[in-house]
Amino acid sequence: MKYRKRNRGWFSLVALLLAGCLFSLPSVAQPQGGPPADARKELMQTLPGTTSDYWRNVQGGVTGTTSSRSPGAETLIMVQGEQWRNWRNHWVSPGGLIALGGSAAGILLFWLLVGPVKLEHPRTGRKIERWTRMDRTIHWYVASLFIILGFTGLMLLYAKWFLQPILPGGVWAAFMTAAKNIHNYLGPLFALGLLAMILKWIRHNAFNRVDLKWFAKGGGIVGKGHPQAGYLNGGEKVWFWIVTFVGLTVVISGLIADFPNFGQSRETMQITLLVHGIGALILMAASFGHIYIGTAGTEGAFEGMKTGYVDESWAKQHHDLWYHAVKDQAIDEAELEARKAGNSQTAANPTQAS
Amino acid sequence: MRLTRKKTAAETEAAQSEGLGVSRRGFLKGTGVAAGGLAATGLLGQGMIRKADAQTAKSSAPVEVKRTICTHCSVGCGVYAHVQEGVWTYQEAAFDHPINKGAHCAKGAALRYHGHSTRRLKYPMKLEGGKWKKLSWEQAINEIGDKMLQVRQESGPDSIFWLGSAKFNNEQAYMFRKMGSLWGTNNVEHQARICHSTTVAGVANTWGYGAMTNSYNDMQNSKSILFIGSNAAEAHPVSMQHTLLAKERNNCKVVVVDPRYTRTAAKADEYVRIRSGSDVAFIWGLLWHIFANGWEDKEFIKQRVYGMDEIRREVQQFPPSVVEDITGVGEAQMYKVAKMLADNRPGCIVWCMGGTQHTTGNNNTRAYCILELALGNVGKSGAGANIYRGHDNVQGATDFGVLSDSLPGYYGLAEGSWRHWAGVWGLDYEWIQNRFDQNTYRGGKPMHTSGITVSRWVDGVLEDKEKISQKDNLRVALYWGHAVNSQTRGPEMREAMKKLDMMVIVDPYPTVAAVMNDRTDGVYLLPACTQFETYGSVTASNRSIQWRDKVIEPHFESKTDHEIMYLLSKKLGYEKELFKNITINGNEPLIEDIVREYNRGMWTIGYTGQSPERLKYHQQNWHAFDFTSLRAVGTEADGDFYGLPWPCWGTPEMKHPGTHILYDTSLAVKDGGLGFRANFGVERNGVTLLAEGSAPVGNEIGDGHPEISANLLKQLGWWNDLTAEEKAAAEGKDWKTDLSGGIQRVSIKHGVAPFGNGKARTIVWTFPDAIPKHREPLYTTRRDLVAKYPTWDDFEALYRLPTLYKSIQQRDTSAEFPIILTSGRLVEYEGGGDETRSNPWLAELQQDMFVEINPFNANSLRIRDGQDVWVYGPEGGKARVKALVTNRVDRNVAFMPFHFGGFFQGENLRNRYPEGSAPYVSGEAVNTVTTYGYDPVTLMQETKTTVCRIEAA
Amino acid sequence: MARMKFLCDSERCIDCNGCVTACKNANETEWGIQRRRVVTLDDGEIGKEVSISVACMHCSDAPCMAVCPTNCFYPTEDGLILHNKDTCIGCGYCLYACPFGAPQFPKQGAFGARGKMDKCTFCAGGPEADPALEAQKYGANRLKDGKLPLCAEMCSTKALLAGDAQEVSDIFRERVVYRGHRNGAWGATQQEPGLSELARQAAELATDAARS
Repeated sequence: MKYRKRNRGWFSLVALLLAGCLFSLPSVAQPQGGPPADARKELMQTLPGTTSDYWRNVQGGVTGTTSSRSPGAETLIMVQGEQWRNWRNHWVSPGGLIALGGSAAGILLFWLLVGPVKLEHPRTGRKIERWTRMDRTIHWYVASLFIILGFTGLMLLYAKWFLQPILPGGVWAAFMTAAKNIHNYLGPLFALGLLAMILKWIRHNAFNRVDLKWFAKGGGIVGKGHPQAGYLNGGEKVWFWIVTFVGLTVVISGLIADFPNFGQSRETMQITLLVHGIGALILMAASFGHIYIGTAGTEGAFEGMKTGYVDESWAKQHHDLWYHAVKDQAIDEAELEARKAGNSQTAANPTQAS
Repeated sequence: MRLTRKKTAAETEAAQSEGLGVSRRGFLKGTGVAAGGLAATGLLGQGMIRKADAQTAKSSAPVEVKRTICTHCSVGCGVYAHVQEGVWTYQEAAFDHPINKGAHCAKGAALRYHGHSTRRLKYPMKLEGGKWKKLSWEQAINEIGDKMLQVRQESGPDSIFWLGSAKFNNEQAYMFRKMGSLWGTNNVEHQARICHSTTVAGVANTWGYGAMTNSYNDMQNSKSILFIGSNAAEAHPVSMQHTLLAKERNNCKVVVVDPRYTRTAAKADEYVRIRSGSDVAFIWGLLWHIFANGWEDKEFIKQRVYGMDEIRREVQQFPPSVVEDITGVGEAQMYKVAKMLADNRPGCIVWCMGGTQHTTGNNNTRAYCILELALGNVGKSGAGANIYRGHDNVQGATDFGVLSDSLPGYYGLAEGSWRHWAGVWGLDYEWIQNRFDQNTYRGGKPMHTSGITVSRWVDGVLEDKEKISQKDNLRVALYWGHAVNSQTRGPEMREAMKKLDMMVIVDPYPTVAAVMNDRTDGVYLLPACTQFETYGSVTASNRSIQWRDKVIEPHFESKTDHEIMYLLSKKLGYEKELFKNITINGNEPLIEDIVREYNRGMWTIGYTGQSPERLKYHQQNWHAFDFTSLRAVGTEADGDFYGLPWPCWGTPEMKHPGTHILYDTSLAVKDGGLGFRANFGVERNGVTLLAEGSAPVGNEIGDGHPEISANLLKQLGWWNDLTAEEKAAAEGKDWKTDLSGGIQRVSIKHGVAPFGNGKARTIVWTFPDAIPKHREPLYTTRRDLVAKYPTWDDFEALYRLPTLYKSIQQRDTSAEFPIILTSGRLVEYEGGGDETRSNPWLAELQQDMFVEINPFNANSLRIRDGQDVWVYGPEGGKARVKALVTNRVDRNVAFMPFHFGGFFQGENLRNRYPEGSAPYVSGEAVNTVTTYGYDPVTLMQETKTTVCRIEAA
Repeated sequence: MARMKFLCDSERCIDCNGCVTACKNANETEWGIQRRRVVTLDDGEIGKEVSISVACMHCSDAPCMAVCPTNCFYPTEDGLILHNKDTCIGCGYCLYACPFGAPQFPKQGAFGARGKMDKCTFCAGGPEADPALEAQKYGANRLKDGKLPLCAEMCSTKALLAGDAQEVSDIFRERVVYRGHRNGAWGATQQEPGLSELARQAAELATDAARS
């Protein structure tokens, strides 16, 4: 039997606009291709001699009946396809490059001009536990998946411009197949990690007055003296909420795209993929900042996420309020080594006090 | 967004299947070459490349090109089958074929799959204790034969029902009728009974022959085409090529009259929606305007039509208001259509099952003819009654009398007819006579009375023995190429199957009969070949006879139908008589010998000039025949019409070109011209029945004349034109019975059609309604019309069975069953669909049985599109199907396609098929819901107008 | 060089699905893959219903090609858009970009497992030197043998035409001339004015395409 299906295209434009608001990029010169295809022209050549009424209908995405059961088969012309292509190829793709490049360049510039934040006082050698094993596990789990997914995702978006010309056909095919499969299979695992991370850390991330002052001082860039901060400073909280909101958006859209076996329409998939791409590019651009601050940008920061412990001096400088609350839990480096060697019980959770 | 995506049964089925399209031959399996490139073996790439599992490997072996004809409908499309090492590897468009020019519909374009089907019956089987058990051919034939002989002993030869097929080629059809006849019964039938029997009866009784008068090709010359009860775009898609050419090149007006807005209607200049079952009133409504405005062809009527004045009087009873009340068509549209037809001549009329499958079927077909006669639209190029037949060889099987009321060639069952055929067969008449039950039932001897029809074998089984005009009930049924789900009254059929002593199904596929019978024992399945696994001739709707090559060898253990006939007749002990004139190679009768035998007997309709050699020559020279006129230009067939459309008079040596257009007086008889057949006498009530002032070109009599006999030849002084041999054979004979063909030869030499030159008659005084009458269907929602247009009284015996009319119509079901139910065709499937639903290329396109419901009813009944519903019939049948909410049907009208089977009143019968042979798609049969109702002339079943109730499931 | 095109004359298309099964016959695509389909608009609406056979249009600026992450598509000298199944990763982007719903996937599985994209090749096969392998992966290569796509060759009413854009549009133009008595193409039953103008436009477009 032939099914008559409802036109699903009604929400596409609205949704596209919404997606656009999420990440409104300036119009940039398109990096590829000629003018967009003209579906009307293609069809005119193929179906000549039809009336203008007919064309109005067809261009409105009119649906009919067909015995094909392919998704969207009942639609003669899916007008959104062309819009999707434009969004993807003329906005998201170049926009992503600008965002990522801009972010990287900005950081580089900052590093060159301002340089990393050094420890103001020498290390005391006494360590305070900042991230538990669980915290670190979650962080590195999410971070490594983020990097893998980010890389494979970027390959899906850009590799054809620079990798394909230099790879032999078979290698190229295997590389892209791997990229897609890795991306699709690891995505859901990333989602689990992200969820765990949000649940684990959400209670530290409520904004308070201290954060306002922190923001006012631009995290220490504006004015003199380091602004006060608790266990997490305002910048870290912002990052957390970016990761939460944009991350969830990316994860949800990713899951919809990753499981097309629920009869999603082409229009749904178009929006999903746009949202996914835009969100992921935002996250990646922002992650550059996070990575910089957590590594080269701040002396003594990386060891916190590496070992779980930070030096007293670092704690005092960056999270003075937290430091005052937990300073009595500081232990000697030697004792820490001993503990680790003895694999003894962990110290009382230092974060509880904040 | 749908949250879940349910797999349809068919998809699951397809997924589980052992590989669609994989041929029986090992080497055909995908060559196993992995799709190359690093990706195939590379990182995470494994499993990504699906080896297309539906493929026949391409081979570089030499290609043999076979010419065959599509087996799916009567259009007769030519096909080039490319065969490599015995495997059908490619199908190419036959651009040089004179009928289709390479074109195919979904079925024709999917033909090649039949050469690879795995859903076939693979070996003989029998049902034993509810399980299918494999048998050898020998054992199967022995067991079946023993049972038949035993039943014959106990209940007489008439207790076996020989249900043959329109899928036979001509030779098999002829042998099947002969086989039943020599068994000693007229209970020999096939699907033409439930297809165009009312056409054959109605049309033959109007002007002589009951076949399509012109051809698909000739319709290119039409100025108007009236489709009534025909959905050619789905049932005969390739014919639309000619229709659309007429529309385009010839400014032809296309009018489609149908209760349903069909794909054909979408191509119409004018679509007329009528109430199902009101055809006669509609035609009278057109004639009312035609007569009122003097648009009738007065000269034509005067010369060539008998009884038009009576029609004129009858039509007076059908003024526009009455017609609107009965048909639902308003005066303005009736006038418009009448004028369109009158202004655009020559025009033709096309009808199919929508016209024939009614209790009033023969009235409908005669009314259609009368309309064409009034317009002078007969016997001309571009005119005529273009009756589209159904199955590929239903025309041939009809011509060869696989019907209970006639021997081959419409000779009937009179003693003279039997004597004629006994002569052709070289058998003693008395020997044949002794094969029959010698008793008399209701005044008739079984040898000379029409047997039980396929439409009613169920009643032949279930009816009280005393009420049947033969010795006993039917006890054994041979379903030799029959789809039982194409027959009405499904629930009763199931009972009948249960009551039978034995069911024998001979078919390439198990068919619905194998699963719906509710038996645990006594069902035999014999695997038959398709027509691609044998060769022979097939008659298209336009009477052209086309030769088919054998494309491939028989699949699995299947055997050709004629070989099975030989084996069974041998077991039954009369193969010597049956195949007396026919060479047997191994166990296979020689097809060419069968052609030559019927060439010697089929004088009535001119199946005598088509020798195997001439047919094969035409087949090898498709390119020589013109696409419009069907006439050969050049080659040795120069001047012949393609396929020597019957009548192709005289012996093959006479080289008659065949008759492209029946009753065309603008040609000499030797070139394919004819007047109307003088088959109804010379005068009635003092009025002549012979043509007046009209005769085919070159007719030396120059006027009407009766059919030619030896005596008439003598009177005309032409007797001495016969050779001495011919004289010896012709003495005392006539054109139909002179086995020498001399009478025909001499008649034609003098420009005279052997069958006479008569008038067409509008009144058939031997029929229940001499003048076609509108009668309300047995199940009608218009109870107010029943009083004025009642059906007939019940008949005590028609074709040996009591037949009910009034006692059915009396019951008012309109309150409980308010929706008219009609049925019809899907382009992807054919008939009961056993074969086409087993072809995944087709099955994929129609996976669900459905009922079309108008949004008006759907909304009122709170039924959504795609939802499951129950359709209930007034005789207790019900079917669970999907709703298709559409404006194709009118308010209070529902439509269901008839190709489905395998479900029965909600019960899934798929597990009853022998393993691996269930079709890909199954569904409820519409005929589980359809009801009683038979045409009184032919016992055509009523499938097009019944009533139903629909409820959400 | 010739530019190959399909042309569907909706005045003649009767939705018989012959093209669909002809494609199956030529290319032996598996269950669920229909490279060609017939869409009927205004089904059941008297005087409006029209059927059209659709498949890949082999667009001049093909959206599928533009969005493909692996560049598996390539244009041929005949103006066809073919693709390399070895490079295809089954991401489905071409389906989301194609206005005509041409790309087909064997499945819609979890983790975006769709299998290799399949679509109309104009019966021109694909990038595979070994004919057996080519047939297995891409179906028929009839063009190589000088034959046109089987769907068009077998069309029941010759509604679907395939071939050089110029020739195909000439055939169509001839039909329009024949239909001139009825004011042109499919809208005839609706008495739509200005059809000949559209037909002319269409023919021009086809001619342009032929030149390009």
